[in-house]
Amino acid sequence: MRQPAVRLVRLSRIPYTELLALQERWLRRLQAEPSTEALSGTEAGALLLCEPAGPVYTSGLRGGLTPEETARLRALGAEVRTTGRGGLATFHGPGQLLCHPVLDLRRLGLRLRTHVAALEACAVRLCECQGLSGARARPPPYTGVWLGERKVCAIGIRCGRHITSHGLALNCSTDLLWFDHIVPCGLVGTGVTSLSEELQRHVTVDEVIPPFLEAFKETYKCTLISEDSSN
Amino acid sequence: MRPVFSQYRNQTKVIQMQLGAAGRCGAERAPCSLSVASAPAVTCLRLPGGLRAGRVRTLRSGSALLSVPKFTDKHEWITTENGIGTVGISNFGQEALGDVVYCSQPEVGTKLNKQDEFGALESVKAAGELYSLSEVTEINEALAENPGLVNKSCYEDGWLIKIALSNPSELDELVSEEAYEKYIKSIE
Repeated sequence: MRQPAVRLVRLSRIPYTELLALQERWLRRLQAEPSTEALSGTEAGALLLCEPAGPVYTSGLRGGLTPEETARLRALGAEVRTTGRGGLATFHGPGQLLCHPVLDLRRLGLRLRTHVAALEACAVRLCECQGLSGARARPPPYTGVWLGERKVCAIGIRCGRHITSHGLALNCSTDLLWFDHIVPCGLVGTGVTSLSEELQRHVTVDEVIPPFLEAFKETYKCTLISEDSSN
Repeated sequence: MRPVFSQYRNQTKVIQMQLGAAGRCGAERAPCSLSVASAPAVTCLRLPGGLRAGRVRTLRSGSALLSVPKFTDKHEWITTENGIGTVGISNFGQEALGDVVYCSQPEVGTKLNKQDEFGALESVKAAGELYSLSEVTEINEALAENPGLVNKSCYEDGWLIKIALSNPSELDELVSEEAYEKYIKSIE
């Protein structure tokens, strides 16, 4: 049986709001009923990849940032946005791989929580490819990928009408000082790290994308097709 | 009035409706493609404290709109009585989510259009939207303190909202238990 196909939408450095707008367009397309406007054949959605152009803090469905914190963070020069994803507060910025799979879970035979587990598995595989064998996912409320007691990859998902949005944020060469201003994911006493920090060399987002895509294809058992290719 | 459900141990969950002449729907939990196929079934009819809902409670008959649950493809169920619908998520739905840690609920009095999102359930950093229609007349306040009721008792204590059905034909598009069980098998 043919594997499902996912469109690879590789964006370079873009503002976070642009990523959200593009995500919204894909969401509307996939959620459209009936599916004539939606996908054909074996297509299961799109994989949006980018590196945020500027610093942005986001909160989730349950919140995660008080109005006072929001004002303080804006004063630092960062954007602050609310989202409908799971999870609490986190940071996105340059040096971070931001991956939003907008997928029809039915076409991939996944549940919402197995999609979360699959994203964790992708990030763990990627860390292992980079030579970091100690990477692990942890059970809730520590969802995400950890190296020791420090989180290298945060995860927060939303799902409506079987279509997922939001995804993971993997620190490649993120300036980790930005995380000092929040309690990341509401987990007091935990730390954050990046691939550069762990490997003690500069690891760029561009460098990790190819192994990440391999990990994604293996984990989700799908093929990746370019955005421009016709069906 | 809640619908009648009974459950049996092990892999098979049998849902029994009593409506004068009884009908039986067999239901089997379909394995998830990323997990071990022989994993034990998570039954969602456990009462808080771990007791099983082994006894069958009798439905009062006589109402024209009786509590036969209908299902959506978004894994929600609805039962109706006297024009009020009770909405919850199915066993498949609560399993698919994982442990619910938070339930965002609408205000009582909110009027929903068909396919409007009325809230979301969050679990393991994933927020799943909930859909319904009509006016929200009541929300299950127990979920604020105890969102895990959605997992433990998805057809009973873990109900989500009640809605005022202005037009019973709004439910015509929803499917029966049997059709829903076929649907979830087909998407595996």
